[in-house]
Amino acid sequence: MDVNRRDVLKVLLGGTAMTAVAASTAHVAKAEPDVVPPLEDAVGLLYDATKCIGCRACMPACANANGLPPDRGTSHGMYMQPEALNSLTKNLIKLYVAPDGHERSFIKQQCMHCVDPACVSGCPMQALHKEKYGVVGWDAHLCIGCRYCQIACPFNIPKFEWYRVNPKIVKCELCRHIVGKTTSQPACTQVCPTHAVIYGNRSDLLAEAHRRIKLRPGYYFEDRVYGETEGGGTQCLILSHVDYSDLGLPKMGPLSNASRVRRVTNIIYQGFLTPVVIYGGLVAIIRDRWKTHLAHVAHERANHDDKGIHA
Amino acid sequence: MTEKWVQCIRLKEPLVTKPFKIMVGLAGFAMLLGILREVSGLGYVTGLNDGYAWGLFKNWNVTALTALGSGGYAVAVMAWIFNERKFHPIMRTAVLTSLVGYGTGMVALGIDVGRPWNFIHILNPKTWNHHSVLLEVAVCMTAYVILALNFENMPPFLERMHNSGDPKKSEQALKIFHFMQATFPFWIALAFVLPSMHQSSLGSLMFLAGDRVHPLWQTARLPLLYLLMAYILGFACVLLVLILSTYVWKLGWDAAILSRLALVMSWLTLWWLVLQFVDLAYRGVFEMAFAFDRYSIVFLVQTLLLLLPAQALQVESLRSKPGSLFRLTLILVIGGLLYRFTPTSIAFIPLGHYTYFPSVIEILMSVGFTALAVVLFLYAVKRFAILPASRGKIAAEAAIRPFDTL
Repeated sequence: MDVNRRDVLKVLLGGTAMTAVAASTAHVAKAEPDVVPPLEDAVGLLYDATKCIGCRACMPACANANGLPPDRGTSHGMYMQPEALNSLTKNLIKLYVAPDGHERSFIKQQCMHCVDPACVSGCPMQALHKEKYGVVGWDAHLCIGCRYCQIACPFNIPKFEWYRVNPKIVKCELCRHIVGKTTSQPACTQVCPTHAVIYGNRSDLLAEAHRRIKLRPGYYFEDRVYGETEGGGTQCLILSHVDYSDLGLPKMGPLSNASRVRRVTNIIYQGFLTPVVIYGGLVAIIRDRWKTHLAHVAHERANHDDKGIHA
Repeated sequence: MTEKWVQCIRLKEPLVTKPFKIMVGLAGFAMLLGILREVSGLGYVTGLNDGYAWGLFKNWNVTALTALGSGGYAVAVMAWIFNERKFHPIMRTAVLTSLVGYGTGMVALGIDVGRPWNFIHILNPKTWNHHSVLLEVAVCMTAYVILALNFENMPPFLERMHNSGDPKKSEQALKIFHFMQATFPFWIALAFVLPSMHQSSLGSLMFLAGDRVHPLWQTARLPLLYLLMAYILGFACVLLVLILSTYVWKLGWDAAILSRLALVMSWLTLWWLVLQFVDLAYRGVFEMAFAFDRYSIVFLVQTLLLLLPAQALQVESLRSKPGSLFRLTLILVIGGLLYRFTPTSIAFIPLGHYTYFPSVIEILMSVGFTALAVVLFLYAVKRFAILPASRGKIAAEAAIRPFDTL
């Protein structure tokens, strides 16, 4: 049998049609198959910028609890003064001042512990993973140091030890190594003098945030909690009277990037059905091509009395 | 004067020439620097930082060189699927460019990762994250190089083994070749499926970064655009390599093959541009292309670098002359590479104040690993029958070619 170009197109179109049908039925079966709800016992932080006095007590407390030396940054070696989150700094308080000088707000930067994190979705080896209570943890023995988490994280949180032979990914893990063992809460919430940052169950924190908004309508920015829905939701929540995007918090829709990638991947792969179908079709085509090719070569050889021997 | 390429010949030229020595020097130096990198940490030798965690190694040596290394895949689709039999004589060249492109890309990947010793876990599927696009890229690329590309590059090697004069070796070569013949379609189909998967996944890779990639580049259609661009760059790379080879080693010029390859590449590029603009319009960010900010200018330059040569290559007379074909393909390659480069570099928007420019050592290593690809190519074409030639040239060659069916 000789396969011509039309047959090839038929096979390819057939494969595409099959996957399209499979895709549409899959779509009917589960409307939002890729959206991950928060765990019931998910824990997190609630940071209320309007209560923060910028004392930065949480920063050395964090460094101490995590065995990190102080980052003296721009302070000429005098005290802890990191410029940004880095491999020595998992937690940072920054001050935002509006260009006109009137509006100001502190902002606490640390891992947001996303409900559906991009870093966990991208990490090839499960080094970054969701563990108990939805905490995003990092395992040294699985990480290959590809730094895809740094590319993927919308908050630019994971940091890398650039100057070490055995580099680690450094980011807040909600003090998972001490909480429930020697302490009941992370170092930052423990030392905060004004309770600007508190630790607890995500649903409780969310209720508390909404209670505060209700108490003072119009006080918090757009009367909403940052992290309730952004990028599929985060376990660390933020309240401020200043526009969240001015505080360096990206504007994001309710769908996480991880779920959008899963959606595209599902459409293309159909649970690995597509590659298998295409592979099967290709084997069938190439088997025919291969037979005609061998016949052709034999014919050419006979015509040209080539020196090649038949293999 | 145009000739008809029918088979492959081994170049009877001395291997160690001055350019070869320079390339070996560059590659060797990069290897030494690679050792330095392994004992010092990435920060000392590269310009990478917490904002731009991926740089030259991933952009050029992995993403760009594997796109250029898609020649074996792209030409094979023409030869085996669309049954354009005239492409068989250039298949060996095409699959060799793929092997050296992917091979050196993976060496660079090994240098780029911070904790390479943990690669061992890739052998244990239990530790895999099945949702990870990067895992898919890594596994598919490795499988492609080990299973498919090695298989496709076997015939010249077996041929040399067969002609070694040792009857035992000769018999072994035939045995392996018979196995290859019997199982051929299964491997070649793998050589289509695997690169389709990882070249499209290289696009999905940046889709996870969401708004951190500028909207002119960030789209759910990234996998499709990346895959098509791999075809375009694959064709382009084979074209450039063949044109340079015919020029340097006076191989004769097969206008039918090269002009057809250029035409297919030109059509693909035009379709690619249409697809890209339809996608821009569909997502409602069309006007961003004409905002004339930094991103818009890069985008327009990229579009022109693709559009102009693709349009010019539609003209038969420009396609059939080596000089114009070479120049136009080169411009198109620059445009295509710019597209593959941009999402992880120029169009990547980290929060905060970060800048990235590769360090001197980084550039030297990157150039060195590219030189390694050239060294391997030169070695192969002067030791094995790879490059295409006309019937007259083959008759002049006395060697027996039992495996010229591939």
